[in-house]
Amino acid sequence: MSAEEKVYQVDLLTRVEGEGSFYLRVREGVVEEARLSIFEAPRFFEALLRGRSMFEVPDIVARICGICPVAYQMSALAAIEGALGVAPSPEVRALRRLLYCGEWIESHALHVFLLHAPDFLGYPSAVEMAKDHRAVVERGLSLKKAGNALIALLGGRAIHPVSPRVGGFSKVPRRRELLGLRDALQRGLDSALEAVRWTASLPVPDFEQDYVFVALAGGDAYPLESGDRIAVSGRADVPVADFETHFVEEQVPHSNALACRLADGTPYLCGPMSRVNHHADKLHPLAAAALREHGPPLPVRNPYRSIVVRAIEIVHAFAEALDGIDAYVEPERPFVEVTARAAIGAGATEAPRGLLWHRYQLGADGLVVDARIVPPTSQNQARIEEDLRGVAPALLALPHEAATRRCEQLIRAYDPCISCATHFLRLRIDRAGEEVPS
Amino acid sequence: MLALAHAELGRLFDALHAEGYRVIGPTVRSAAIVYEELDGPADLPVGWTDEQAPGRYRLVRRDDDAAFGYVVGPHTWKAHLFPPRERLFQARRRPDGRVGFDPVLPDEPPTAFLGVRACEVAAMEVQDRVFLEGPHAEPRYAARRRQAFLVGVSCLEAGQLCFCASTSTGPRVDHGVDLAMAELPGAYLFEAGTERGRAVLDRLSARPATAEEHRHLDEGIERARGQMGRTLATDGLPELLFGNLDHPRWAAVAERCLACGNCTSVCPTCFCSSAHEESDLTGDDAARVRTWDSCFSLEHAEIHGVNVRPTVEDRYRQWLTHKVGSWVSQFGVSGCVGCGRCIAWCPVGIDLTEELAAIRADSAAPAPMPVRQAPAAATDDALVPRAAVVIGVTRESADVVTLHLACDPPLALRPGQFTMLSLPGLGEAAISVSGTWGDAFEQTIRDVGAVSGALSALRPGQQLGIRGPYGNGWPLDAARGRPVVVIAGGIGLAPLRGAIRFLLEHPLDYPDVRLVYGTRTPDDILFGHEMLGWASRPGFRMAITVDRADLSWRGDVGVVTRLLRREPLSPEATYLMCGPEVMMRFAVEALTAAGVPSDHLYLAMERHMKCAAGFCGRCQYGPFFVCKDGPIFRHDQVARLFGREGF
Amino acid sequence: MAAATRPRLGVFKLASCDGCQLTLLDCEDELLAVAGAVDIVRFSEASSRPDDGQPFDLTLVEGSVSAPEHVEQIHRLRARSKRLVTIGACANAGGIQALRNWVDAEEVMRVVYARPDYIRSLATSTPISAHVPVDFELRGCPIAREQLLELITAMLTGRRPALRDESVCMECKRRGNVCVTVATGEPCLGPVTHTGCGALCPSYDRGCYGCFGPRERASTGSLASWFLQQGMVPAEALRRFRGINGWSEAFRKESERHER
Repeated sequence: MSAEEKVYQVDLLTRVEGEGSFYLRVREGVVEEARLSIFEAPRFFEALLRGRSMFEVPDIVARICGICPVAYQMSALAAIEGALGVAPSPEVRALRRLLYCGEWIESHALHVFLLHAPDFLGYPSAVEMAKDHRAVVERGLSLKKAGNALIALLGGRAIHPVSPRVGGFSKVPRRRELLGLRDALQRGLDSALEAVRWTASLPVPDFEQDYVFVALAGGDAYPLESGDRIAVSGRADVPVADFETHFVEEQVPHSNALACRLADGTPYLCGPMSRVNHHADKLHPLAAAALREHGPPLPVRNPYRSIVVRAIEIVHAFAEALDGIDAYVEPERPFVEVTARAAIGAGATEAPRGLLWHRYQLGADGLVVDARIVPPTSQNQARIEEDLRGVAPALLALPHEAATRRCEQLIRAYDPCISCATHFLRLRIDRAGEEVPS
Repeated sequence: MLALAHAELGRLFDALHAEGYRVIGPTVRSAAIVYEELDGPADLPVGWTDEQAPGRYRLVRRDDDAAFGYVVGPHTWKAHLFPPRERLFQARRRPDGRVGFDPVLPDEPPTAFLGVRACEVAAMEVQDRVFLEGPHAEPRYAARRRQAFLVGVSCLEAGQLCFCASTSTGPRVDHGVDLAMAELPGAYLFEAGTERGRAVLDRLSARPATAEEHRHLDEGIERARGQMGRTLATDGLPELLFGNLDHPRWAAVAERCLACGNCTSVCPTCFCSSAHEESDLTGDDAARVRTWDSCFSLEHAEIHGVNVRPTVEDRYRQWLTHKVGSWVSQFGVSGCVGCGRCIAWCPVGIDLTEELAAIRADSAAPAPMPVRQAPAAATDDALVPRAAVVIGVTRESADVVTLHLACDPPLALRPGQFTMLSLPGLGEAAISVSGTWGDAFEQTIRDVGAVSGALSALRPGQQLGIRGPYGNGWPLDAARGRPVVVIAGGIGLAPLRGAIRFLLEHPLDYPDVRLVYGTRTPDDILFGHEMLGWASRPGFRMAITVDRADLSWRGDVGVVTRLLRREPLSPEATYLMCGPEVMMRFAVEALTAAGVPSDHLYLAMERHMKCAAGFCGRCQYGPFFVCKDGPIFRHDQVARLFGREGF
Repeated sequence: MAAATRPRLGVFKLASCDGCQLTLLDCEDELLAVAGAVDIVRFSEASSRPDDGQPFDLTLVEGSVSAPEHVEQIHRLRARSKRLVTIGACANAGGIQALRNWVDAEEVMRVVYARPDYIRSLATSTPISAHVPVDFELRGCPIAREQLLELITAMLTGRRPALRDESVCMECKRRGNVCVTVATGEPCLGPVTHTGCGALCPSYDRGCYGCFGPRERASTGSLASWFLQQGMVPAEALRRFRGINGWSEAFRKESERHER
């Protein structure tokens, strides 16, 4: 390595979900190579889903991710129910939104406190951070616990819930069971507001990029469990059903994950920053107030500030959850009966990490003919590499070690979920010359 | 007998509440009629009945408004007397090695059980024998049982799977309850069974029942008796089953049986339990928790890594031969009350009445079964340890240690007994008493696992938990005046040491004592020092053999039986044996071949124990409990089962 | 416990969803206490602390062996672990991704990519025990928090972990659940599935789908016969046994019995 060439790399990223590495080579101030390599082994979920009953899909797709299983279940149900023209009751839809709030809380709290915050204060982990900032870490753990409790009540358990099913839920809670969570959620809301203040006080590198922000849209609510359109900054909304025409996946040599870009090759960003930039007006008033008082000015374009945006979304989720519990009406029936027929449908929801799109083709026998899933981290992969290129000039002024940490902190700002991203490799299984759609 | 109109049933709830009881009774939930807390008559399953078949239970609407128009569902009252999960005690261990144990006792509010069927009353009475008749009584069960206010309801309709008529446990509730009820289409009839039942009855402002109502009740009972969906021939069932332990039907039912434990869980008399330790990360603050277990579970029959009932066939046979067979020898009544739950809730619909009929139809000769005498019950809480202190430790061999212990008040011990030794948060093990010394006593432990290993590592001054003593002792009285041969294998010498000392201390009563002892290697010989002292006593001779040794060993190498046969085997002598079961089997064979009668042979049996007090059911050996009927058995008592797989 | 004598813990992941590792972080009330009692040396999901290459007292591994690198990695981990515990269905049985084991390897590798040689993947997804001896299998998908804590507590206190191998039915009945199969005809794998989840699915009015894998003596043949007798078609019986733990021996044999 000559004096003019600098290489920043980490062979196994830590404090991210899944297995990836990054490599950034800069020669005389020019970025020669910026790679996010995802080498986590693919599990071929789309192929596994073929031939399974549509009723098995929520159980199977949950296993794509241990941190955001609800997101996979909800996107799958949106697609399948959309395909079959099944409309769950408003009470069931409200319950699904409540369940999703639980997951946002759990996932964001995990990321903010256990995965990302240590970077801002210079610790290798939250456990080390707890030695000097015990109250902060305990706050993060208690926020996560409250989110998990909400998922567990509605879904049976926090990881891989068992009750979501086509048509609704296998069982719904009694009103008094939900009210039993109220105190913990209220305490969580107060704690989350404190978390906004705290994250807003963290030292943050100056770094902004010109992003194309992509987020689910449609309806009056902050995007979460439903939406029929996708908002793309500076362009027309894309109907969810037309996703594949406007967003294109491509395999890259250095990664087991497909990278997704706009049809014209532009990388884009999905996740909390996109959501707040598109839909700040739909934030719960308490979250909106927190944004106004402590949040970055909009549009927020500094990925290092995503930690504050996540904290604001935690406030939003707690506030929505409390409203949801107070308004809860037990559905008359936990689920509606569903008749199988040949159909195709697509659906999207906002996972904690961003837009999660599913598409299913179902047979008349109720079995899956074809499945396609595009997770948020795949969509962000190209944008992460762009950001690495973008941050390179600022690194040159830093000691090597600190610069490498700065890159990691940047990648972590995306809250990448690598296990998800690798599981969507397309498989075309040709059986004796029979063409299977890809 | 008094009567209320249907619309007045609320008065019963008011009366029970006024007397301070919460009411648990039938209600519809999750597509079944279950027992839960009720607020009032509106919570009852009015207008519902249950249609049952093997492996199938459906709630069906009646065309009337009967509130008790069903039979039994998946819940039993045993869940409220003997809960599925219960903390027995809290334990703590301090840095200085002292331990403490605090019993956890029931704290439920006074409860009335509304809707107890005749078969369920009978089931409670069966469990009373298990938990309240000696040698130990279970205080938690006793407290809940005493306190529970029972409102029995006779059945005027039988269910499809009922056979209480065959087991003589119904359908009329005529005893064992505080208040007996029956539901006629136009009225509820009541009769008090106890003083407190009368107190509730007095609050109902009920009118006397009419003669017609009396008649309708009797007719209804008779009708129910005649409607039974099943029959079971109970004559000689225990003898029949134990005479047919190799019947092909066992293998046939094992093809279907899932060994899932549902039958034992829904059975109102099943009582087997397990126990485990729960603790904080350090183990210094711990609790022992008892949970429902089943003879269908893997760990039920596991001892030192060996499983006595590895196959489904072994387990099904254990269950059924116990339920309607050895149960009678153990408790004086059958364990089956004819409720049919095991048939309904078996996921594959196995019907025990069918299985038993098939065996009876084509059976070999019946086997005699022992008759049980129940000893008087002790009143202590046998399940909570107290502290004992280590006064000394003797290392006997590489993996065997003797702890010299004392506790206050001192234990009254007989050679052959054992205790349960424990450490908080770690667990408990059954350890033989290997001798006494004034008020102190010795227990010899072989390090074979986490608990025995930790006990072996204790040092003088440290404390441990102790329960007991348990078990019978060696029959030293019966052996008086005759030659005694002691046959020991390995660690089996430990429970025999106390007996040998006693025999040697009374040479006039025992002029001729012979010890035959086998162990793995010369380094494993236990109590070698003490043995030298024995060897010098007149009237005592000793032979030792090992499995293998190096050239420095001048003694015998080979199995114990060879050593045994070196001298004539007197049919007059008493033979006391303890060691690996295979060794005892060969010894018994050799002795029997030499003409020694079966009732001169005594074996120390070992089975997995969680409680050692006669409740957990795991140490059962056919009709016997190793903990209370043993561990020492006379060979003729157990000849039929000794050496047989599955028991 | 003095810091010098704290047992060393390593947490690793092969091919999986991360849910089992996350379960340790989901012990929110106990996490800091555990981190005090045990030296969490390597846990890359939660910590940037580098691997010091020294042996572990306890190694928890999640995920199935699904790529050539995994084979190497698990052998290295076994060599430096006093106790190796596999956590979760992927590590214990190959996971849901083991479904690809039934597809002809040739077919699986003919992928529609610009450059298929970019992807290196084993044709099969196999349990860790197929490659190295394993000291204990903690079942689940995901594992249960309470069971993970019991495993760690048992190691610290020196007791045998109180983790039973019995049917889900036992726990269902202890909880007072009404059997979904007997009362509604809903198929349930509870009788043949290893306990540990707290009888979760029947508590939520649905049948067990085998997250904790087969228990000892799983009589899958008898259960499957019953399903078929109640009207289930063989293709569905096959699917029910070919799920999360489909590659485990008892479930695999049963699903294969129903292939056409």
